[in-house]
Amino acid sequence: MNVLPINALSSLIHLAQATPAAKSFDPIAITNQLLNGVGIIGILLLTGLGLSITFGVMRIINLAHGEFIMLGAYTSFVLQSNFKMDLLLTIPFSFLFTAFIGAIVERTIVRRLYGRAVETLLATWGLSIVIQGVVKLIFTAQLKYVKAPPYTRGNWTPFQIGGQAIEISYYRLFIIFMALLLLGITAFLLYRTKLGREVRAVTQNRDMAKCLGINTSLVDMLTFAYGCGLAGVAGTVISSLKSVAPPMGQDYLVDAWMTVVTGGVDKLVGVLAGAVLIGESNAAIAYLINDPTARVIVLAAVIVLIRYRPEGLFTVQKRS
Amino acid sequence: MKKINRSNDALNGITRRRFIQYGSLAAATSIVAACAPTATTPTTTTGATSSASPAAGGAKGIKVGVMYSTTGTIAIVEKSLQDATFLAIDQINEGTGPWAGKKGIDGQMIEKVVVNPDSNWDLYNQMSKRLIDEDKVVCVLGCYTSASRKSVLPVFEEKDSLLYYPVYYEGNECSSNVIYTGAAPNQQITDSIPFCIKTFGKKGFFIGSDYIYPKESNRIAKAELVNGGGEVVGDEYAALGTTEFITIINKIKQAKPNFILSNLVGDSIPAFYKQLKDAGITSKDIPIMAFPTTEEEIQAMGPEFAEGHYSSFNYFQSVDTPENKAFVEQFKAKFGKERVTNGVMEAAYIQTFFMAQAMEKVAKEKKALNTSSLREATRGQVFKAPQGTVKVDPDNYHSYLYSRIGKWKADGQAEIVFATKAAVKPIPWSQALYKGRTCVHKTPDDRSNSNVETKKDLPVEFLKET
Repeated sequence: MNVLPINALSSLIHLAQATPAAKSFDPIAITNQLLNGVGIIGILLLTGLGLSITFGVMRIINLAHGEFIMLGAYTSFVLQSNFKMDLLLTIPFSFLFTAFIGAIVERTIVRRLYGRAVETLLATWGLSIVIQGVVKLIFTAQLKYVKAPPYTRGNWTPFQIGGQAIEISYYRLFIIFMALLLLGITAFLLYRTKLGREVRAVTQNRDMAKCLGINTSLVDMLTFAYGCGLAGVAGTVISSLKSVAPPMGQDYLVDAWMTVVTGGVDKLVGVLAGAVLIGESNAAIAYLINDPTARVIVLAAVIVLIRYRPEGLFTVQKRS
Repeated sequence: MKKINRSNDALNGITRRRFIQYGSLAAATSIVAACAPTATTPTTTTGATSSASPAAGGAKGIKVGVMYSTTGTIAIVEKSLQDATFLAIDQINEGTGPWAGKKGIDGQMIEKVVVNPDSNWDLYNQMSKRLIDEDKVVCVLGCYTSASRKSVLPVFEEKDSLLYYPVYYEGNECSSNVIYTGAAPNQQITDSIPFCIKTFGKKGFFIGSDYIYPKESNRIAKAELVNGGGEVVGDEYAALGTTEFITIINKIKQAKPNFILSNLVGDSIPAFYKQLKDAGITSKDIPIMAFPTTEEEIQAMGPEFAEGHYSSFNYFQSVDTPENKAFVEQFKAKFGKERVTNGVMEAAYIQTFFMAQAMEKVAKEKKALNTSSLREATRGQVFKAPQGTVKVDPDNYHSYLYSRIGKWKADGQAEIVFATKAAVKPIPWSQALYKGRTCVHKTPDDRSNSNVETKKDLPVEFLKET
């Protein structure tokens, strides 16, 4: 936690030092960087999607979201190291496992705090520390290694000029594909099925939904579990890009929140919009200046944005 | 508007009592989480009850503080330092390993007082005060990051206690209250840059995590590269804990360096190596020379991603000495077959023996064991370490260490491609930046400015075996 202000400060010093910003404006490198932005978008979308369910649909401030990502990554690690499973095959298992843990959390903690945002925030924050502690006790604090499937190696090269190539790695393409697929499935579930209609009904007017015979407590549990399951899938997919460790979820928590809040929470497409906006602006600024500064600028921009559009960018104006 | 109203309601809805309930719940959970991992390790209970001054060497044993974070972001590294320290202390108390044939310090056991500063720099400061004032430890073994060392340094200087610090660092410091057993710049950076120029080429791209050590270390390395006729084609930093490197990798592709010099730390290391290879840059195209990348990080990323890259360190698990063979065996026997050893762990291990040998010397001379007698006895201690024979420099309290460069192989171990013939005398100040500056403590407890400006190139001195 206390690392943050130091980072922010040193990034500001970066700014002050006026880093040699404009290198030669190489069109190939810029195109590559925009493609890199697509890679970042995939990760933001994937990590933000679960949150857009728990926060966007259910209005639960879930600070343990990062820990569910971490649990998904550990599920893959366990399955891979014990049963030599392919990473992609572990995806359903991490979904089910994290959804199961999510259901337990909803039953025991979140359920008792509906409508009390600040208490939920405190409780899920405490929960995130407990989950991290438990995982550390079981697996120790050492970094763990998850292997990417061999067929996702290498780069996709749309075209080449001279010695330079425009390229993006297959795994990044897989991530964005996975994220869009999950977004599609979620949209289908939410807008095209009976369960989705019930979920939306409960969100809009709980008492009325109850009167109409909807089992609201079951709907709540399923929705929360589904959001956590999505976080688990994100954890599995991300795990092979880095290493698996108890604090890994913390890195994604802030990014996921920024994505969801920027895009707006009323519509699922808001997450996509938020991810595109943050991902590409991050990539562009990071290319022009440097990475830590890009984070500071984007975070500051999001804060300003929330000040003037608290409901996010892509929300239809409603009469209240 | 709707949402704002609702959150206001939620705030107003909290009664004071409920706030305290949940607040204390949250606080309690964090305390439980912080304490849990240490509870599994043998922790001596501490408190005001030990009123008999153990510093004077009572019958109870010699109290030594062990200060490494076992929770938080840095726990990944510091836990293995703690493991290596515990191994050494157990060997000293049981009379095994390098301590075979003896038992404890002249019959007295070392009693470890373990604290966990939770990767929080302020807590290092508070806990070192507690160790010195309340637990009355003779000395403290601990710290990993430069930030934590800078945080506790005033405490050790003000209270005149002794810290044994086991980590390679950026130099530019020379306290008479710290025994530095990790590499100074001239034992790690100075040899690796000429090696890079000779083996890979003149163009270097520098990357690192965004805090004191990587920036200072890269500043020294850049100066060395320019002195050697090389060219800095890039200099990029990523926030601590960042695992997204595609932007930096794109800049590397554009700059086309001959080699990358990496001072990334923690879980950024596996992420960077993996993403570099995924982006199609192999170790044959652009090799990485790294300082903080050790066997542990290689294991965490999968050795295939590191194969063909390089690290510069005093010690590798593959160092071929009988002492190292024994050390690796004993470590694996205690902590598990799958564990690996690395340079920082070895430094944590040898500094514990420097301390034990010094305590033994104090006991033999029948002096009271306190900071000044321990410091006096630690100066000049020689130990047959896993990396080879090492010595605490009596002038600047850094250590004579070997300088080595390893090329990572497919099995996660290093093939040593460069090694000095003997341990190198430490120079705490980078000679590329501060030509001719070194440090000599004029008295054992030197509070004056101990820097010596010779204005000349300092010769490389090796440890002479006696």
